[in-house]
Amino acid sequence: MKITELFDRGEFVVSAEVGPPKGIHIDGLIEEAKKYLGGITAVNVTDNQSSVMRLGSLAVCRQLLDAGLTPIYQLTCRDRNRIALQSDLLSAAMFGIENILCLTGDHTSLGDHPGAKPVFDLDSVSLLHTVCQLESGVDLGGNPLVGEPPKFAKGAVVSPCSDSIDAQLAKMERKVLAGCDYFQTQAVFEPEKFIAFMERARQFGKPVQLGIIIPKSAGMCRYMNNNVAGVHVPDDMLDELAADKERAKAGITGVEIAARVIRECRPYCQGIHIMALGWESKVPALLKQAGI
Amino acid sequence: MLITKLKSREDLQSLLPEKVFVLLCNGCKEVSFPEREIEELISEFLTADKVTGVLTTDYICNPENLSLRLKRRRAMIDEADGVLVFSCGVGVQTVSDLLEGRAVYAGCDTIRLPGFQGVTPLEYDCGQCGQCYLNLTGGICPVTACSKSLVNGQCGGAQNGRCEVDPNMECGWERIYRRLEAVGRLDAIKCPTQIRNFAIDANKSH
Amino acid sequence: MENYTKYRLKSSEELIQTLAGTDHIFVVACNKCFKEFTSVYEPECDEFTALAKAGGKNVTGAIRVDFLCNKTQTLGRLRDIVPAETENVFVISCGLGIQTVADIVQLPVFAASNSIPCRGHHGMALTPKTCDACAQCYLNVTGGICPVVDCTKSLLNGQCGGAKDGKCEADPTKDCAWEKIQQRLSKLGRLEEFRDHPVQLRDYSKVNSKLIRDYVHTIRKKRFEGYYGGVHPSERKEMSEHVQLVRFPEPDVVVIPLSMHAGKPSVPLVKEGEHVRVGQRIGEQAGFIGASIHSSVSGTVLAVEERRHPTLGPGVLSVVIQNDKLNTVDESVRPHGDIEGLSPEEIVEIVKDNGIVGMGGAGFPAYVKLQPGKPIDAVLLNGCECEPMLTADYKVLLHYADDVIYGLRAIMKAVSAPRGVIVIEDNKPDAIAMLQEKTKGYENIEVLAVRTKYPQGAEKMLIKKVLGRSVPSGGLPADAGAVVSNVSSSKAIADAIRLGFPPIERVVCVTGERVHSPGNFIVKVGTSVQEILDFCGGIVGDDVTVKLGGPMMGIPQTELDVPVIKATNGIIAYEADHTIAVECIKCGRCADVCPMELFPLYFAKYVETGNIQGLKEQNIMDCMECRCCEYICSSKIPLVTKIREGKAAVRGMK
Repeated sequence: MKITELFDRGEFVVSAEVGPPKGIHIDGLIEEAKKYLGGITAVNVTDNQSSVMRLGSLAVCRQLLDAGLTPIYQLTCRDRNRIALQSDLLSAAMFGIENILCLTGDHTSLGDHPGAKPVFDLDSVSLLHTVCQLESGVDLGGNPLVGEPPKFAKGAVVSPCSDSIDAQLAKMERKVLAGCDYFQTQAVFEPEKFIAFMERARQFGKPVQLGIIIPKSAGMCRYMNNNVAGVHVPDDMLDELAADKERAKAGITGVEIAARVIRECRPYCQGIHIMALGWESKVPALLKQAGI
Repeated sequence: MLITKLKSREDLQSLLPEKVFVLLCNGCKEVSFPEREIEELISEFLTADKVTGVLTTDYICNPENLSLRLKRRRAMIDEADGVLVFSCGVGVQTVSDLLEGRAVYAGCDTIRLPGFQGVTPLEYDCGQCGQCYLNLTGGICPVTACSKSLVNGQCGGAQNGRCEVDPNMECGWERIYRRLEAVGRLDAIKCPTQIRNFAIDANKSH
Repeated sequence: MENYTKYRLKSSEELIQTLAGTDHIFVVACNKCFKEFTSVYEPECDEFTALAKAGGKNVTGAIRVDFLCNKTQTLGRLRDIVPAETENVFVISCGLGIQTVADIVQLPVFAASNSIPCRGHHGMALTPKTCDACAQCYLNVTGGICPVVDCTKSLLNGQCGGAKDGKCEADPTKDCAWEKIQQRLSKLGRLEEFRDHPVQLRDYSKVNSKLIRDYVHTIRKKRFEGYYGGVHPSERKEMSEHVQLVRFPEPDVVVIPLSMHAGKPSVPLVKEGEHVRVGQRIGEQAGFIGASIHSSVSGTVLAVEERRHPTLGPGVLSVVIQNDKLNTVDESVRPHGDIEGLSPEEIVEIVKDNGIVGMGGAGFPAYVKLQPGKPIDAVLLNGCECEPMLTADYKVLLHYADDVIYGLRAIMKAVSAPRGVIVIEDNKPDAIAMLQEKTKGYENIEVLAVRTKYPQGAEKMLIKKVLGRSVPSGGLPADAGAVVSNVSSSKAIADAIRLGFPPIERVVCVTGERVHSPGNFIVKVGTSVQEILDFCGGIVGDDVTVKLGGPMMGIPQTELDVPVIKATNGIIAYEADHTIAVECIKCGRCADVCPMELFPLYFAKYVETGNIQGLKEQNIMDCMECRCCEYICSSKIPLVTKIREGKAAVRGMK
């Protein structure tokens, strides 16, 4: 199922993401996903997130599909040139994977193989363009595909709380022009910023899923503030998390905060995207508290 | 502009032949050449009886002048088992070509600085990609000003307007956006999706 | 030879498309680099302008610029040249030039050209592009052939399966790099070595943006410190800087030329057979720009005849004196009291009477400088000694600090300057400390330590560095409110006032890798260079270059039987370098280092073609012959010789 169909029907689309392990055993991952994410619309599978080498996104997507879930296949441009990317897109279509999320990818220098060659033959915009090409039955080299071309729901990301908001919106517009169907955002902790962003992003007419991280502790939030681009947890939330360490540790405070953000932003977005970061088990409680 | 960096002591030690002739290029002069470090290293690694001669000179990539200079040291070179060259890769290869049949060793690694040979290193660069994007970016090159050489806009990694790879480096696309805004050309953002052409160019420079 | 031009015009179709939304166009074109400098004209500017005009565009103007990426120079050239009605600027250049212009002008800038794609980098000659600057040289593994550049796939561990008849699969006209490497290694007997090397992996993190940026920052700071350009030759001062200053033994004979200064030669006042005393005037100043000459010894005049001169060559009228070694002092030598008791006019008169000239090498009469006829804000004392090797001024500072300060005070009084600055390069920390200590009592005198950079000691550079002012083209330091003097001249002024002694001796540094025992000496003017070198144990080996002065501006000597003159600060001997001049390749380095912001490559070109008008347009007369351009020239063109020819030709035109 393409998640664009749900957006078209006006449904509030909920997705969450899982990160493949550095290894070949994913029974646990599949079990958790089935248990906690079974009720939501779709599950993103990250592609060597943070430039750390892991099990492939495509393979895990296939397993999730077999387990009855709807995977969103994330592709980054960091590790593959246009030949490999197109080939993997065809493979995904063959497996029945219908949702993709096109990203540029973190730079290799940030990961666990800093000496690797950063590819970036394409970027998120040109990857979206490439997918459209494939969908029209022609590859990027202008050669026809054999048989029915693939069809995807093509997603991309945007950082609504970025400090470079003008450049982000300019890029978002380019993604729309290149054929993007929907957006997932970087984690939001400041609803007012998100709302202001949506005022400007609405003109593009594409559904936007609000990015959500359940904050685990004040320390984790401070780390994100310092190290994760486009993410800022305001001081009052930090205080809230620091106030009762046990409550925060149990996830109670974090779920409260995340639910609050969702409730405030809900009128302005078309869905949410949860980056659970290991707290997949908290997702059902979060959705309940947020009233979804 | 090319600059050189001395190879590690371990690397150098492992490749030194019995007797060496040492050739030091003080290079393109006004750019980095680890002259002192090399002198120290030679005195540390090589006892006088192992060195048949040392020549410090400039622009060893110029074969005419290098051959003149080497000619007068032919005996020292003949006496050596190999020639250890401290220069950029162009220099080492010029020596290899001139002294064909003789083992030539590179003592340095070469790093490129923004700007071409001869140019004082610049704060911006041209990657000679052959398909100038500067019309679309207000005159700031996305191929060199962006760590990922992205040609369609900013990635999500910029933080406080800084690059994810190097927080001391300003995000190239942030600068491009500002420049386009300043010269009233934000419409350039609506150009078609850009895809780089990495094809081997028949007309390329050699 | 190859041509490494970096750009070509975009296709007409693309240009027409780009021109579509624009009008009132100004065109800036780069004159190209890294190609043989066989013609000054490059056609792209006219081609593009014609295209724009054909499309009905108003072209407000066009300019062709050399080394467009040289921002300092380009700023100067674009200043006030873009007409006000201009709306868009089109640049014909590689990406560097386009970005430079976009940085400078406040208008939309468009690229009318594409860079020419390349693989690998060439050196400072038009030889093949053989290095990719990958930061992990593999040449030791491959026998000196680069697999990163030469193999289309940049393979590091051997040949792929695509080579056919020894040719590359991606380009059948190109030899397979690994085929060549195999042959080279086999020839060298290094195949086993290759086989046993560990697996090679590229490490892309070695090209480290931080390292590069920091380095760029440092080098740009160095390059633009105080003034544009300049160079940093190896200092090589360690040979003589720690050798004690001693008095050179009395020479048997001195040869004192009647011309040791800029301007007219002096008129001899003595005849053969006459007895002279130390400090006695033996040559009368002739003309406003001129200086008196005094005897440095007591003894008998052997001859007044033409002798070889260290800077003017043979045939210079000189007084030859047999030294009686009694050092009988002439009665004219007597103290003139203290600065406080002297009027500015009296100081000027003393300086004139004693024939004091610029002792840093130029030999310009000091008394002329002391009558600037303009208000002077500061007297700058040059203790930089930016010439490599030399340590004479250094020794003067250490041994005669009080005299140097005294002389400075005298100059300040003579020109009514409220401020005196003693400028010393930071490679002489002990001299800086000493002068700082000794000037503590003088509120209006400061000691400024500056980072080493050649030619810091040149008047115009010093003024720019210290006062941040430029001496106008063709002007004098006084036009910038400054008087500049060398520390040795300052000491000479102190000697003249306090002791009454004219400059009959000076500190000379004898150094260089080919001098047996380098040293620093107080030498009587007129002492033979040969005698001094012999005293230092002679010259070691053959094929030696001997210069009077430093390696940059010193005058090469073919015969050593020449005397030390007032301006001789050093005698140096080092191994000769034999090179041949090849065609200029427009690398731009001369323009990059010229502290006067000139384009020396044009001087050589125009002297060859006899284009005197061109020489004038390139401001050849502003050149001060510091030799930075010749030092840096990758084609080894004797630029200073050419420049002197060019200046002579321009003077001849007047």
